[in-house]
Amino acid sequence: MNTLKLWRTFKEGKENFIRNGWLTFATISILSLSLFIVSLSFLLGTTSHLVLQNMREKVSINVSFNPDVPEERIVSIQNELKGYTKEVASVEYISREDALKQFLSESGNDPVIAQAVQEIGENPLLASIVIKAVRPDQYETIVESLKKSTFQNDISRINYEKNKKIFERLNRISETTQRVGLILGSLFIFIAVLITFNTIRITIYSHRQEFEIMRLVGASNIYVRMPFVFEGALYGLVSSVVTMIFLSVVSYYIAPYTNGAMAIGNFMDLYQHYAFFIFLTLVAFGVTLGVFSSAIAIRRYLKA
Amino acid sequence: MSQEETIIRFENVSKVFPGDAVILADVNISFRSGEFVSIVGASGAGKSTLLKLIYAEEIPTSGEVYFSERPVGKINRKHLPFFRRNIGTVFQDFKLLPQKTAFENVAYALEVDGRSTADINEEVPEILSIVGLGRKMHQFPKQLSGGEQQRVSLARALIHRPKVIIADEPTGNLDPVASEEIIRLLLEINSFGTTVLLATHNKGIVDKLGKRVVLIDNGRIIEDHDKSKYILK
Repeated sequence: MNTLKLWRTFKEGKENFIRNGWLTFATISILSLSLFIVSLSFLLGTTSHLVLQNMREKVSINVSFNPDVPEERIVSIQNELKGYTKEVASVEYISREDALKQFLSESGNDPVIAQAVQEIGENPLLASIVIKAVRPDQYETIVESLKKSTFQNDISRINYEKNKKIFERLNRISETTQRVGLILGSLFIFIAVLITFNTIRITIYSHRQEFEIMRLVGASNIYVRMPFVFEGALYGLVSSVVTMIFLSVVSYYIAPYTNGAMAIGNFMDLYQHYAFFIFLTLVAFGVTLGVFSSAIAIRRYLKA
Repeated sequence: MSQEETIIRFENVSKVFPGDAVILADVNISFRSGEFVSIVGASGAGKSTLLKLIYAEEIPTSGEVYFSERPVGKINRKHLPFFRRNIGTVFQDFKLLPQKTAFENVAYALEVDGRSTADINEEVPEILSIVGLGRKMHQFPKQLSGGEQQRVSLARALIHRPKVIIADEPTGNLDPVASEEIIRLLLEINSFGTTVLLATHNKGIVDKLGKRVVLIDNGRIIEDHDKSKYILK
């Protein structure tokens, strides 16, 4: 098949696509809906993952030291902890002065509080270190090691216990959402493939009488087949564009509810970040699906 | 150009469909180049099958059909589209592509051949005006009358300048006036040297033609008259 004929079969496919009107509309609706559900479940899965990640990042262990522990001692403990790179992601030292400044700024620089602190005459806050773990399930281990460490007597208190329950729940949610997302995603992809294949089969079935005519006036099998393959590709392409529009609208409305829930920003920012990747994937998936469905569905109508 | 040269020849051809339905039984007949032959017989007599064997839509169960001394049954299915460009076909149900205009339906036969767009834009309007549809070439089949649709179909059959036109009940769906118009066109095509095989059971048409008539009954050739009248029982 030369380029002239290939170009003609493409035009033929494009023309079918436009002139089929209602059937084209139905096919695109179904394909778009399938692609939309698959990409939305991808985006929601990613969102829940990022929200949890964001929450985890806010989780930390706060170790307060007794007032008589000198700063050098705390810094050396900090350095020692930094050595456990597999478990400890970061260790931040907060001196008594920093803690006071932070406390005052968090209380909105209230003059009454500032005065109260002054009346005590001495900084009432303790120096502390803030430890972040590499993985959330490591907090427990870190706390246990701190309690048994050589500096256990220097520690005034570890405020992890009270957060323990929240951490455990977070871990469970994270695991569940990932598993559910994977299962739902695969299920929807499977459904999308089935529906699209069947819709295209119906489209081709509605043309079956034309194949005989085409062959009768001298069209080769490949010449009969190519327009439908191109038509299938167009279904994929247009459906991908339609899906992107749907996703934009949905993201726009979801966005306000997700402000600040993720490091990346809100749902719209996430969508925009992934938009190009999603579009490419949809086009690749949609076009492949369209092309293969058409190619397979038409086979039975073309005698060898 | 020799009028006597045989273009199509059936040699002991039988066609049996599954279930031992004998459609054609031991048919021997030839058609000469430039002839106008009416093939008549009741429905189911085997007229259509006889014609289908010529353009290789069917393959004989036994025997052989020759087209220009080439055995049709032995043509590789891959080469069939090329072979079919020698034969123009017209049917009772027109067989037009519903989503293409008259122009596009005719152009399609040239497009599949890989002909240039310039050629197509020149030849298609020409042939459509020959069949009297010059002004309606951008209409879709459903916007045309039955007679007009059949003329589009005829234009498409002619576009490759085939050696043979096979018309299988071309007037079956048409009123008498439209039928007459189609027959007139077939005669005109024949007058330029194209062989025409016309299957019909329209007595009036065949009688008026005064050309060769072949009568088929039960898969056998019963009568074969030159310049004779068709006498229906």
